[in-house]
Amino acid sequence: MQTEEVIKDAGEIPVASSAKSSESIHEDTTAKLFIISSITYFFIVGIVALIIAAKFVMPSFLGTVEYLTYGRMRPLHVNGMLFGWLLAADMGLMYYIVPRLCGVKLWSEKLGMATAALWNFIILGAVVSLVMGWNQGWEYAELPTFLDVCVVIAWIMFGANIFMTVANRKYNAMYVSLWYAMGTILWTAFVYLTGNFATLFTTGVNQANLNWMYVHNAVGLIFTPVGLAIAYYYIPKASNNPLYSHKLSMIGFWSLAFVYVWTGAHHMIHGPISQWLQTISIVFSVMLLIPVWAAVYNFITTMKGQWHQLRENIALKFLMSGVVFYLLTCFQGPMHSLRAVNAIVSKTDWIPGHAHMAVLGAFSFFAIAGCYHTVPLIFKTKLYSDALANWSFWLFLIGGLGFFVTLWLGGFWQGWQWNNPSIPFIDTVVALKPVWAVRLGSGFLMFGGIVAFAYNILATIIGTTGEQTATATA
Amino acid sequence: MLQKADYNAVFFVAAALIMFFIGGLLTTVAPPLLDQSWSKPFENADASKGPTGKLVQLNEQELKGRKIYVREGCWYCHTQQVRTILADTKRYGWRGVDAPVSTPDEFVYDSPHLFGTKRTGPDLARVGGKYNEQWHRAHFRNPADLVPGSIMPPFPWIADNEQEFKALTAYIQTLGRAKNWRPDNDYEK
Repeated sequence: MQTEEVIKDAGEIPVASSAKSSESIHEDTTAKLFIISSITYFFIVGIVALIIAAKFVMPSFLGTVEYLTYGRMRPLHVNGMLFGWLLAADMGLMYYIVPRLCGVKLWSEKLGMATAALWNFIILGAVVSLVMGWNQGWEYAELPTFLDVCVVIAWIMFGANIFMTVANRKYNAMYVSLWYAMGTILWTAFVYLTGNFATLFTTGVNQANLNWMYVHNAVGLIFTPVGLAIAYYYIPKASNNPLYSHKLSMIGFWSLAFVYVWTGAHHMIHGPISQWLQTISIVFSVMLLIPVWAAVYNFITTMKGQWHQLRENIALKFLMSGVVFYLLTCFQGPMHSLRAVNAIVSKTDWIPGHAHMAVLGAFSFFAIAGCYHTVPLIFKTKLYSDALANWSFWLFLIGGLGFFVTLWLGGFWQGWQWNNPSIPFIDTVVALKPVWAVRLGSGFLMFGGIVAFAYNILATIIGTTGEQTATATA
Repeated sequence: MLQKADYNAVFFVAAALIMFFIGGLLTTVAPPLLDQSWSKPFENADASKGPTGKLVQLNEQELKGRKIYVREGCWYCHTQQVRTILADTKRYGWRGVDAPVSTPDEFVYDSPHLFGTKRTGPDLARVGGKYNEQWHRAHFRNPADLVPGSIMPPFPWIADNEQEFKALTAYIQTLGRAKNWRPDNDYEK
């Protein structure tokens, strides 16, 4: 029996020979805690997102209360979405995926639960700090050092659990999602230390360079690899089709490992930083097309013959739209780094359009797909409502596209206007007002998507506990 | 070659870290060692080489103002860099004089750095001395009063707090002044 379960090819998701018995070894308490808290923050921070979008339309909206001013709500939105929702959801899904790919239980559920508790403490601490204005002044690294230390501890706890599970694995070959999970843990450790601690000992351009290395790689070496771990696991799972090419996934992984970290300085193209460093960051930014196209080609071809499933399969809808957004956002990124394009789009509203397509359109879509697929499995039930899930998809998609596309058009226009110094700056602000109004409307649609998604998951979970009590009392 | 990483977790970890550290070290540790302008404060007395001036450290009040600037997240909407783009030097110039391009040596004492990524409002790298204290007071109270159409939020808790207002304004007046770029020295107070 043992020999049956040892798979030879790292390119396949291992399937235990006796699915039922091996599924029952998993407790999944940690995965549940992380997923539930992440979706809660998704909802709460979604309200903050609407508030800051509304402030662009009505600048004095909640503007006379210092705790609710734009400059404090914006970091709350960014940190809340990145760390409260997306990273926590990604971690929850890793606590689910990794034990299954290893064929063993999670190394320690107790450690996992402690990690979830610490993570929630960090997010609540972040809310208090940011509202109070205890902002360190670095983008993505606003939180006070005390909370940064807690993040490092939580990350070590997470990493220890995942790596020990991998070390105890029953299957010899490691599927590509495992590499991405491990890569995320390793790289994030150093990227986070650079952005939150090394910056403390530097000043000026040197500090900015470290900050951009962190900011860029928070997306490139945290959310990208963990998002790809999810996509590589759930696309074959949800479509019931094997991964197209193991070799291609290797090319994608190792080129990502090598290329991403060089690109931080592209946040200061034309800025006060050495020209040669800008050029290096541009060259490597363009090379990013290699890992991206390798992964996307692999995902698309994995779907070969299975596209009809997009009609019914909610997880696949999110996954494959996420793949398209990933392809687009990672085409924009390298193009923005080119000096001629950068001179137009940099610092404009195009950039939030681009950034939201990455973290919402691509990586949040992957995480939402993971939640829709996983929550019914770990609670041993069915999804509460397929129709509601479908609504959430279309609300996210239409709201998201409305947001991205209007900000690109508006941002590009804004960039052209800025490049004509005879147009007063305020005229370029007034010109964008219709764009910001559409952005707020799109925000309401996306928030509708969040509500539909969160309610569906909540009802799925509550439904099971309801049934259990019903059977228990009967 | 990397096929071994499919089966050997230790080999995998080593390979993933080596790949990462090549670029990681070359782009973070190496550049400040190679480009001295990142750490040498700006100083120029020779007008033929461009604007003259000397970068000085902020005094206590200006530093306090800078902390308020960080606390309120001004830097989310205002960058502090005149880029190597002609339109930037024209747009952020004043009274017919082009703003000099920002250089690394002007920011040597800055922590946190405030270069910024987004211009919802105009760049502030050379704003020091463009507007006087009275203008700033009215502007913080309600920006749209002075600049119709502005979407900058009001900051009554700063305008009404004399100490904080003075500190923040003092900081803003230092911005871009390391380079003495206005020929008539017509800086507002």
